[in-house]
Amino acid sequence: MELSNLSHSLNLLLPELTLSIALLVLVLFDLIFHHDKKIISYVALIGLLATGFFVINQFSLSGFAFSTGNESYRNFGMITIDSFGSFFKLIVIVASVIIVFFSLSSDEIKKTSERIGEYYALIFGMILGMLFMISATDLILIYLSVELLSLSSYVLAGFTKLRERNSEASLKYMIYGSVSSGLMLFGISLVYGMTGTTNLYMINSLIQIPHLNLFTFSFAMILIFAGIGYKISSAPFHFWTPDVYEGAPITITAFLSVASKAAGFALLIRFVKITFVSYIDTSGFWQLIHVFDWKTLIVVISIFTMTLGNFSALWQDNLKRMLAYSSIAHAGYIMLGLAVLSNQGLTAMLIYFAVYLLMNLGAFLVVMLIANKINSEEIDDYDGLGYSSPFLAASLAIFLISLTGLPPTAGFIGKLYLFVALVDANMIGLAVVALLNTVVSLYYYVRVLKHMYLTKPETAIPEIKTSKPNTILVLVLLIPIFIFGIYFTPLVDLAKGCITILGL
Amino acid sequence: MSLYDIIFYLFAAITILSGFIVVTSKNIVYSAFSLLFTFFGVAGIYVLLGADFIAIVQILVYVGGILILLLFGVMLTNKITNVDIRTGTIHVLPGAVAVGVLMGLLLSAMVWTEWKTQPSETPVTTTVTLGRLLITDYILIFELLGILLLIALIGAASIARREQE
Repeated sequence: MELSNLSHSLNLLLPELTLSIALLVLVLFDLIFHHDKKIISYVALIGLLATGFFVINQFSLSGFAFSTGNESYRNFGMITIDSFGSFFKLIVIVASVIIVFFSLSSDEIKKTSERIGEYYALIFGMILGMLFMISATDLILIYLSVELLSLSSYVLAGFTKLRERNSEASLKYMIYGSVSSGLMLFGISLVYGMTGTTNLYMINSLIQIPHLNLFTFSFAMILIFAGIGYKISSAPFHFWTPDVYEGAPITITAFLSVASKAAGFALLIRFVKITFVSYIDTSGFWQLIHVFDWKTLIVVISIFTMTLGNFSALWQDNLKRMLAYSSIAHAGYIMLGLAVLSNQGLTAMLIYFAVYLLMNLGAFLVVMLIANKINSEEIDDYDGLGYSSPFLAASLAIFLISLTGLPPTAGFIGKLYLFVALVDANMIGLAVVALLNTVVSLYYYVRVLKHMYLTKPETAIPEIKTSKPNTILVLVLLIPIFIFGIYFTPLVDLAKGCITILGL
Repeated sequence: MSLYDIIFYLFAAITILSGFIVVTSKNIVYSAFSLLFTFFGVAGIYVLLGADFIAIVQILVYVGGILILLLFGVMLTNKITNVDIRTGTIHVLPGAVAVGVLMGLLLSAMVWTEWKTQPSETPVTTTVTLGRLLITDYILIFELLGILLLIALIGAASIARREQE
């Protein structure tokens, strides 16, 4: 690799570089300011905002960075920068910024303020892993970034160490994680053994040879999918989700449910699109190379995932656990967009993710603010909350209605575009299944509302007052839900402009 | 069967047998010592494949560093003789079925697939080429690994610290 190539590559990697530097600064500041750790949170915030600035700067940029290999494939690198990647990076950064604000007002994290430097360093490790997952086009880099994300999240899941559940969550996460990353490595080594390369673009051109052993190749793909499926908590790799989400500090739970899932989906979409698409026809449908039937796999897994998530959520009495199952169900819905294998489906997925970010983080935020005061996440303790603390209860109600997908909230727009994409691709049966699932989900979301507004509490509960910054944070998540629910053109236009995945 | 094959199977047998002892032994010291043979066997296979650098690193880092550290850790722990480690197995049947299916799939994949092969060459020392690749083509991977190790260190320190109630 020549020096000019290196500087070109580094230019494309500015967000990641900024984030790495911020990570080091965090570690350093943690050492210097060990008496007053307040400054650490602001350093983290500044680092994230700078990264976000460079991500937004990159929206119009595209290119390959860190190309390896021989002359003929010099153009294809380990990293691909394109608008699709920038969109997901922005989602991750926005989620991270919100999580920093979460952490500032979370009682769980305040109790461990001694170790706040480690906390943010690990969160930055996660974000860095996610950014590389989103743009990686080389199997080695994919594996490495998944590992970076996983290692940091294992520690963070058990970070507070105040309850036994924390350690349990951490250990469970790690055991399931090691198994799935082991399976993924097996898959990667099988692919390498058959093609002799780890670059996705080169694999794309090599798998078109006729005498490829399809059995081994499909097996390898299922193994690699196991690794990614674990990150997006799709069935049957979802077992860790409820326990980890319930046991982990709620800030980390919220972060895992949005950002980690976004990165996993970005990786899956890019992997399928670059490795398997042979051409895109005029109506925007992706024509796959006939080596592996992704469509069937994704359809089956997504039906399985959303049905299982929704039906398990029906019986949950702990709000965090219920939101965990609901996030499994949402992973199923989002996967439908990929099953369509078209540009329209991809647009729907992007819209859904932007909306999902707002409503899921919002729901977790309100649950956290309530848990800060009443120290419980059990649904029975929410009795009568609608009258004692109307603001929080009303916001939670709106977030949950949006998660169900009812108008006039943004959740409706997300679901609408997904279903339209399905119908346009003549997958009406699948759309009906998803619609029925939504009806099921209505039950458990509304159950919370019933407890808040219709059930009388046994003892009178005091009002839960929120501080000004927290009120503003709730409103910041709440207002866009209405705006995008009614005036959704800008969001749709943004998503339509962000479906370029460099390749072919 | 050529001499090469015989040496390969010898090392493979060492690896598998000692690996079996690692997971089944009730005494943690025995496990640690048989881990030594596992690492050694793997290093032998690396040499056979012509990967001299990785073989040496395997011995230096795993046998020389990590394993000795592990043994020290065990020896410095109190009550070394009656460390209660649970090596019991539960759900034997589903576990055996799952592992058996996975192994069958992997074996059949190994046997039936037409792997991409290269003509065999006389092994040359790989250290120089590896070093050059690591700071040119794979510089990104190399640097990212550095950050991964930093995160692992921070995480380990964070887990190890005892929380004051």
